[in-house]
Amino acid sequence: MARIEFKNVSHSFEIAEGKEKLEWAVKDMNIAWEDGTANALLGPSGCGKTTMLNIISGLLTPSKGKVYIDGKDVTELSTRERHISQVFQFPVIYDSMNVYNNLAFPLINVNLPKSKIKKKVMKIAKILGLIDYLEAPSSKLNSAEKQKVSLGRGIVRDDTVGILLDEPLTVIDPKMRGELRRQLKIIQRELNITAIYVTHDQHEALTFADKVAVVKDGRLVQIGSPHDLYSNPESPFVGYFIGSPGMNILDAKLKGSTLSLNDFKIELTKDIADKIGIKNDECQLGIRPEEIISSREKTAGTIPFEVAIIENMGSYKILTLIKKNGSDRDLRIKTRVDINIFVSKGDIVYLKFPEKYLKIFKDNHKIY
Amino acid sequence: MAIRIKNVNKSFGKHLVLDNISLEIKDGDFVSFLAPTGSGKTTLLRVMAGLEKPDKGHGKIFYDDVDVTDIPVRERNIAMVYQDFINYPSMTVYENIASPLRVSKNKILEKEIDRKVRETAELLSLSDLLKHYPSETSGGQQQRIAIARALVKDTKYIFLDEPLANLDYKLREELRGQLKETFSYNKKGIIIYATADPLDALILSSHVGYLNEGKVLQYDILDKVYNYPQYIEVASYFSNPTMNFIEANLVKENDDYFLKVTDELKIKIDNTLKDKINKKEYLLGIRAQAIRSNRQTKNDVIIKGTVELVEVVGSDTELHFKYKDFRLLGLSQKIESYQIGNAIDIFIDPSKFYIFDKDTRRLVYRMVGEK
Repeated sequence: MARIEFKNVSHSFEIAEGKEKLEWAVKDMNIAWEDGTANALLGPSGCGKTTMLNIISGLLTPSKGKVYIDGKDVTELSTRERHISQVFQFPVIYDSMNVYNNLAFPLINVNLPKSKIKKKVMKIAKILGLIDYLEAPSSKLNSAEKQKVSLGRGIVRDDTVGILLDEPLTVIDPKMRGELRRQLKIIQRELNITAIYVTHDQHEALTFADKVAVVKDGRLVQIGSPHDLYSNPESPFVGYFIGSPGMNILDAKLKGSTLSLNDFKIELTKDIADKIGIKNDECQLGIRPEEIISSREKTAGTIPFEVAIIENMGSYKILTLIKKNGSDRDLRIKTRVDINIFVSKGDIVYLKFPEKYLKIFKDNHKIY
Repeated sequence: MAIRIKNVNKSFGKHLVLDNISLEIKDGDFVSFLAPTGSGKTTLLRVMAGLEKPDKGHGKIFYDDVDVTDIPVRERNIAMVYQDFINYPSMTVYENIASPLRVSKNKILEKEIDRKVRETAELLSLSDLLKHYPSETSGGQQQRIAIARALVKDTKYIFLDEPLANLDYKLREELRGQLKETFSYNKKGIIIYATADPLDALILSSHVGYLNEGKVLQYDILDKVYNYPQYIEVASYFSNPTMNFIEANLVKENDDYFLKVTDELKIKIDNTLKDKINKKEYLLGIRAQAIRSNRQTKNDVIIKGTVELVEVVGSDTELHFKYKDFRLLGLSQKIESYQIGNAIDIFIDPSKFYIFDKDTRRLVYRMVGEK
């Protein structure tokens, strides 16, 4: 089991190609994955997350910086010497062998006695729920079962210290994805193995991991538990990316303790205005749909919006509301309301923005 | 009836994919065919659109009471959107959207084409991208271009085959909302939408058909299918996340009858229910939304659960827990942390129970309690 750490890791593919103008796929990354934890690397395609994975496994040596496993510098070590296994999008198994032999293969390769191999294979098969399939030809398995065998081959050796999962659900039938994802998580817990799950899908990242690192343009944007990322986004990007629907991000102007948006104003208490620190400047206001108080009745301090879209989610509704403001762009905002609130398109809904939930961003960083 | 299909069979080789399907669809309906992969929904869509024909002598299809069974797709004035975003890579977004108008049999004036392209682009938030090529746009934008091509023609019949399936979570969420808005302007047209995602069906449709092994198991207005699923299969699939099912037995205690799971979790069977519930075993269905870690109503049933797994889904938290020998799933409508292995109080709203017959798999009764 292992703690994996990056210290000032940067990587540019142009160095190996001998080019002069360098682009950095990974930029000065400092991050640690603690022993026995479930982690995710989350970001859009091309953000550098797969490059990071290849640097961890040793397929790639970083242009700058060091990689440590349990405090030991492994930057120059080969993939084999690191004892980290990798599961790819497509299951990697031998179709000609049965499930037992597939799982036993990595152990046969290191000349383990037969009795020990059997014990180990049975243990892994039990954890993966493959006991009934051991004699089955691998070619007869469905995609989820194949992916489990693939994973089993990665973790069957005792010296495996970590497992990297590179979008492992991509080829899995949609209705089996949730089930396999939960099993992966249970297996990770049971083996207490350090796992890093790479995906562009926040749904998968948040359901699998206890700690999620959000990566954008080769940089670490924010790292935290799903709860941290949800309640304390450091940037509008994370605020919008995490949560469904994402955080509302609204252009605003702060003057003294007054926030001006579109054609209405929000008065902040002096305390908060002081903490924000800017006195007269453009900023962005962030608030989550489920944190806004919506009502059909007009009361003091509420702001009227017009209903544009109603999405019925079964146990609640998501309203998309607009506020027209002359020639300016319409202000659009989403709120989550009780299933028993009946509204139609064009109706007016009155909103209140509780101060305790407001976030203020400036230049893409949270300032309050 | 705007689209009527009558006793349609469709086989591929020996495999019967559609099994005697009859449906009637009215103007203005947004119909979702919901089913897991391989249940025949894409085939049904293709047969309705005319891309496939029903088995010879087994079924007829009518558009506005005209038999179109043998009319080729080109002559039907339909539009189709596929799962893979199909656009012309060498044309700009503008030309892509204009293309269906340019091949139209009746010559359309350039001025009119321009007006329609811009209007449709505006509707799908593509106005800023008109000069770009599809490859320069995101997956969500590419699918919107394909949808714009379907809408620009003013066709009455629009077929969409899992248009959101290949998009990632956030884009799916965004485009779903946008589709809802876009199609709310299309009051007379008919939208037929195939999907494996219960959320699509829930948010977009006016009517839902659930397909199972080539048959339509239930077809009705959205509210009926979602709130009164007639079969275990429909209830299980058309729930997001999936519905909990627990075995319950009919027992007599003192002079009262109960449908009983455990001493805490039981339903009193009063006189009005006695006729309906008289077998020994039933399945109790409870949606995850009715199971929470905080009190919902004053009548809540309280049980002790052991937390097994916690998953953050969107802005909700799915709570997987064990109660005696049962593994159950609850849902909290916020992001919450729970310690794995902890015992916690779980509150179940008894007015949200569904009772299914174990043998016929049909809905017997749905509890409706006071709020």
